[in-house]
Amino acid sequence: MMDPRIFHKLFQLNWGIISLVFLISAIGWGLLISAGGGDAHIWAFKQMMRFGIGLGIMFVIALTDLRWWLRFSYVFYGLSFLLLCAVEVMGFIGMGAQRWIDLYVLQLQPSELMKIALIMALARYFHSQSQPISLSKLIPPLLLVLMPTFLVLKQPDLGTAMVLLMSGGALFFLAGVSLWAFGAALVVAGASIPLLWTFLHDYQKQRIFMFFDPSQDTHGAGYHITQSKIALGSGGFWGKGYMQGTQAYLNFIPEKQTDFIFTLLCEEWGFLGGSVLILLYSLLILLCSRVALTTQNDFGRYVVSGITMTFFLYMFINIAMVMGLLPVVGIPLPLVSYGGTAMLTLLMGFGFILNVGLHQTLKVPRLSIGIL
Amino acid sequence: MSRGENSNFLSRALFFGILEIGLVIILFGRMYYLQIFEGSRYHLLAEGNRIFSRPLVPLRGQIYDRNGNVLVENETSFRLLLLVDKKKDIESTLAAIEEVITLSSEEKEEILKKVVKKHSIDAIVVKDGLTWEEVSAIELHATDLPGISLEVGARRHYPLLSKGAHVLGYVASPSEKEEEEDPTLAIPGLKMGKVGLEKYLDQRLRGTPGYRAFEVNARRKIVRDLNQNESLSGEDIHLTLDGRLQKYASEVLSEYESASAVVLDIQSGEILALVSIPSFDPNLFPLGISHHDWGELRDNPYVPMTNKAISGLYPPGSTIKMFVALAALEAGIIDKKTTVHCPGYFYVGDHPFHCWKKHGHGSINVSNAISESCDVFFYEIAKRVGIDRLSATFKMVGLGEGGLEGFPHCKKGLVPTKEWKKDKKNANWTLSDTIMTSIGQGYMQASPLELAVVIARLVGGKKVIPHLEGRENPSFENLGFNPEHLELIKEAMANTTNSPLGTAFFGRIQQEGKEMGGKTGTSQVRRITLEQRRAGQTKTNHLAWKYREHGLFVGYAPIHNPRYAIAVVVEHGGGPRGAIQAARDILLKAQLLEEESK
Repeated sequence: MMDPRIFHKLFQLNWGIISLVFLISAIGWGLLISAGGGDAHIWAFKQMMRFGIGLGIMFVIALTDLRWWLRFSYVFYGLSFLLLCAVEVMGFIGMGAQRWIDLYVLQLQPSELMKIALIMALARYFHSQSQPISLSKLIPPLLLVLMPTFLVLKQPDLGTAMVLLMSGGALFFLAGVSLWAFGAALVVAGASIPLLWTFLHDYQKQRIFMFFDPSQDTHGAGYHITQSKIALGSGGFWGKGYMQGTQAYLNFIPEKQTDFIFTLLCEEWGFLGGSVLILLYSLLILLCSRVALTTQNDFGRYVVSGITMTFFLYMFINIAMVMGLLPVVGIPLPLVSYGGTAMLTLLMGFGFILNVGLHQTLKVPRLSIGIL
Repeated sequence: MSRGENSNFLSRALFFGILEIGLVIILFGRMYYLQIFEGSRYHLLAEGNRIFSRPLVPLRGQIYDRNGNVLVENETSFRLLLLVDKKKDIESTLAAIEEVITLSSEEKEEILKKVVKKHSIDAIVVKDGLTWEEVSAIELHATDLPGISLEVGARRHYPLLSKGAHVLGYVASPSEKEEEEDPTLAIPGLKMGKVGLEKYLDQRLRGTPGYRAFEVNARRKIVRDLNQNESLSGEDIHLTLDGRLQKYASEVLSEYESASAVVLDIQSGEILALVSIPSFDPNLFPLGISHHDWGELRDNPYVPMTNKAISGLYPPGSTIKMFVALAALEAGIIDKKTTVHCPGYFYVGDHPFHCWKKHGHGSINVSNAISESCDVFFYEIAKRVGIDRLSATFKMVGLGEGGLEGFPHCKKGLVPTKEWKKDKKNANWTLSDTIMTSIGQGYMQASPLELAVVIARLVGGKKVIPHLEGRENPSFENLGFNPEHLELIKEAMANTTNSPLGTAFFGRIQQEGKEMGGKTGTSQVRRITLEQRRAGQTKTNHLAWKYREHGLFVGYAPIHNPRYAIAVVVEHGGGPRGAIQAARDILLKAQLLEEESK
């Protein structure tokens, strides 16, 4: 027999968040059918299946005890980090970049897992610190951020590295690290840009060049941005109609089912469709932020704000990228772009947000410094 | 609201909230700028934007003969492609093209048919195999012709012309039905093998198509290439055929209205020549044969499109007698000394079966019965051996096997058995059936290829498999016949051509060391009626062509260390004379060519 408390808990879940997650994903399926030229078998069905699996994981995570996750957050981080190292060792080359581990059933992208693991680990760390945090106490969390960022950058996955760095930084900020420390970090970061530049691959450098002057080369990297802007702009206010997007159909838009799916939306559904999706995202972020604000334990607040921030960054960077506001860095549109691990991690993340929402008034004791 | 220890959280979260709202406003602003403010400009740009991507035709493999001479080659040719964008302006485009080059009404019809089938954007072939005049005219007017492009391609060429047409086959554009069954064929300009080796080896010859993507402007001019994947050429094929012998044999047989021949290497089973007459020029097909030419080929009563060497089935006539003798010898029913008396006829009940020699051969042994082709001898021993053992021996040497498994239109002959007759004719086997079978008449049927194979197996004693490709020396299993029996029959065949009493003495090879052995055959197309026989008519020479008997000859050469086996059929030859002469010339030529190569 199932524990009746489970039903009670289910009832108490934040169904607003769940509905929005479902709605946004469903918009994604519609777009994937269009991207497949009307054939749902190409992408949409697979994506729905992944969503179904992810939804199951989301509910399981949502209904577990938050303290248990606090306890295992470092272990989770450690495992993700090991997987990330494993990509270096045994990962194979996918699309010219080492990002995947083939688990035979699905290809696992450890950098995706790391996005959540990093937030969990930082949340636990800051949860266990007393305010104000001294500078020396910032060294371990800094390492927690920089080690995976370095590995991801080396894969090379500039977009994910940026997201790790930015969501990590956001948690530092929310945890109350003094503004002086941030000022110092910015100076250091500015000084290390030339060093980082040498880490970048030629194509990444090219994309950044192209970002500043896309008209320079309409064939290679700049070509994608130009074509994306043409397709998006040609949608006008009302759009060309579902499955009527000529640019996507003619393959002018690269990766139309993944990173550039927002272009497809805007071509077919116009300014109206694009606005509706951005508004839905905003509403979802608002609901998640409310959970963070009303939660009474630090761990929960940090976890929710970290995940929400990551979600926002994804949404913003992707849309800004396809509209030519940011360089093309390979960030998917959350819940909408075709892709397995991104979908699973996102739904895991929402699982944690729902979980915290259920345990808002829970008193979470601090843990000692040990691993568990 | 109770809170955690971190008192900064709320204010800092608020800061993020405002930041996020600001960023979302930027997104809206940008979207507004692109879609509303600049929308109409981008709309125009999108209209002009067209990418065509299409597969590239791979270069077909070439075909060479056993000496490395090319039998099928690719010649550079130009074709005119049209990038069809909107179906509505196809008529005006075609009209513009017609001002530059001429298109026949058939060609136009074909183009319009293709346009209907294509998706919104695709390339179609307007005309293949352009002349230099046409190419330069098109280049001159290129700017007036929207959507056209010239492509360098390869045109299939068959230098043997009609002399290798049947065995090599030809290529042509896939039919609508073929394209439906295999969409990979729907590549503008792709040809596929339709018959012969071109079809038999199509998969290997065809190669792998490449891919080209390019951007075109609103006037369908190619602005630039986006990417190109080169196609992979098909495999080159090296045949066992000897181009020179193939050509010579065709010339020799061209004397007759309708004939075919197969030359085999006795040891290896390699097919050296495979000829069917009359023939056609395969070069008519790759660019699409005209209605007129096709009509002529189709209506020709001598069926030039049929490869008679593998799909013509004939009653083998007396060429089968060696195998009746072999069956009897192997069964121990006769030996080389056994004689049969031939009075010129043989009664089954009260029905007479005649020997071709009206007054009979008298007492005759197996060797002379073969070389003089005595019918009564074989009636008698066939009666003793019985149909079961006869058909078993026939099948063992390869009758009814067809020969080239999977080759287009390669037909299998027929070896009748009791079961077969019961099954197909719903009647019991009779002694008369056995008698008819013993002289290769009645139900018996064989193709020239099968006849050449049985001679190669009889002379070599091994179960050779005929083939057109592959030069390694295969080892074939021994058929297990008594070598003395085989020797006896070979000697009898040598006497057929070289003893003055032999039926083919007049057509012998006279060059020392190159002599041939063989066996003649005639197969009745129409039975000679009793009245005609009474009137003294036992020949059909003066009958209308299509009622005359087929003339056959099977043979081998040289008689010492045999190397070549041959079967020749002259349809309605009125007797074996023509077949003998053709076989003699071809076998001699084969040996002379061999000497030349050394």
